[in-house]
Amino acid sequence: MYYISIKKEDWHRSLEKLLTSHDIFVPVKDEYSLDYEPFRLNQADHIAYNLPKPATPLKNFFLPVRENVTSARDKVRPRIIIGVPNCDIEALGLLDEIYLDEAFADPFYRNRRKSTILISSDCFSVNEHCHCTSYGVKPYTTDHADMVLLSDGDEIFLRVISGKGEELVRQLSSASGVSDPVRLRFADERHRETEALLAERNRGLPDYTTTGEIVRKANDHIWVKYASKCVSCGACTTICPTCSCFLLIDKPDFEKVKQTDACQYPGFQRVAGGEDALFELRHRFRNRYMCKYVWRPQKFKSLACTGCGRCIEACIGKISKNELFMELI
Amino acid sequence: MASDTNNIYKPLQATLEEVIEESPLIKTFVLIPDEEFVFKTGQFIELAVDGVGEAPFTPSSSPLVTDRLEVTVMKTGYVTGIMHELKPGAVMGIRGPYGRGYPISEFNGKEVLILGGGCGLAPIRSLLFALEHMKDDLEKVMLCYGSKTPADCIYKPLFSRLNSIDKFEAYRTVDVTDDDWDGPVGVATALLDQVKVKIENSVAVVCGPPIMMKFGTIRLLEMGYRDDQIYLSMEKNMSCGLGKCGHCMMGEFFVCKDGPVFTYREIKHNPEIWK
Repeated sequence: MYYISIKKEDWHRSLEKLLTSHDIFVPVKDEYSLDYEPFRLNQADHIAYNLPKPATPLKNFFLPVRENVTSARDKVRPRIIIGVPNCDIEALGLLDEIYLDEAFADPFYRNRRKSTILISSDCFSVNEHCHCTSYGVKPYTTDHADMVLLSDGDEIFLRVISGKGEELVRQLSSASGVSDPVRLRFADERHRETEALLAERNRGLPDYTTTGEIVRKANDHIWVKYASKCVSCGACTTICPTCSCFLLIDKPDFEKVKQTDACQYPGFQRVAGGEDALFELRHRFRNRYMCKYVWRPQKFKSLACTGCGRCIEACIGKISKNELFMELI
Repeated sequence: MASDTNNIYKPLQATLEEVIEESPLIKTFVLIPDEEFVFKTGQFIELAVDGVGEAPFTPSSSPLVTDRLEVTVMKTGYVTGIMHELKPGAVMGIRGPYGRGYPISEFNGKEVLILGGGCGLAPIRSLLFALEHMKDDLEKVMLCYGSKTPADCIYKPLFSRLNSIDKFEAYRTVDVTDDDWDGPVGVATALLDQVKVKIENSVAVVCGPPIMMKFGTIRLLEMGYRDDQIYLSMEKNMSCGLGKCGHCMMGEFFVCKDGPVFTYREIKHNPEIWK
């Protein structure tokens, strides 16, 4: 891992050149939200680096809402995704475990992963419901992205992590190495500030890495109470960076369309004979918590939540899983 | 480019050679796959009706036969309803085989007690073919099977054939009798009282409707079977078969990948299993 720096203007010119070979997405802020948009040099002023999570979870770049998974594809055009917060980078780790599984790797997911350069960005501020640190997830990454971007005035610093990142650096002609660690002090300060903000805002939240047992033992009344405000709309699963369940739909000529699905929808587990373990809404509601905090951690390396807080923002029933946990502990 | 050979979602095509009517609601589809199809007994496949849908089934034919495949299907929903209308010559899709089947090599030297109900006899028939092939290494194989009525019993000739094989015993019961039936009446678990089995040197296999699986397991435990001697073939909504889509999650397990065959010990901590 090492750092390079480049003038913001030169960085954007370099991106412009890279457009001939890559699709490039950058975080753009307008009066409503922050989200990824295709890079355009003449709109570079609207790019907002180092803000917390864009509205779209990273998974959508790798798992489209709907796609034909039996048709052969041309080679995927290489992509650079810039401004990915660490909560989404960490979430991608869980998706990799499922979709790059040795026995059954998903060829479409694998191709997209291979052809994508992920440039994370350290979060220099927090959103209302950001609570990554209560999951042991930092608001910045030093290992799981290809590079990380830190914007400081008219200068861009890049923390180069992977081989793919190094390759990209070679294409940035006006970049230079950062040998003086004093120049990076601002980053440490920003990290400390962000972590302090998160700690203050999330005082009283449980250490989510240890909540599996609490969820497993939770009395039914907690599920009844919170499920009473749930309408099974599935917004929480749609916006969640780790939820990735899907449905396969058959089309003529044995083609299959893979479409996102969620355990919050009625009939998710119904079998042909009519049995449905998740028939009741409160069971579906509980299922999501059991999946994220009990079952996925048993099966995979981590639990299936990274504290991005999008599900709280998206819920039309105003259900906050943080409130639920505060009541549980 | 994703070539067909490594596309996990792409089915193999198979031609329907024959449709055997087993009972008013159950048919066996004899399929000739376009390529050799190798599976282990107890593993399942996703069988597709072109453009309509697919559903998970455990083949009912012998795992030793790789150029034809039999799948026994109960008409119970949308896809199976359309399957039942198919005629020989139809082309179907097969994905798989998926999951973990019966660990038959671990049955060596043992008595195998099999409890089956309804359409659960389909995977059991495949298992019986495999066990017949290795019968020299087995002590005994006992099948206790129940159907709702005598007419609902599938593979009727199977029972007399099994009883003619050395070391094999087959028992049948029905829930509701008719004029031609002079055998036992009652649930399949009641047949367990008839078999003579050395439990300490035995394994039990249960496959059938959820209610039978539950009470069959309880009865076997009462008889003295340990939880790791009981093999259950779980039925969930296995949709992708690849441990990804989430539809068949049963606690921490993807039934499609970690199962469908589990020992009771592996899954008993999960109250969701009988749902």
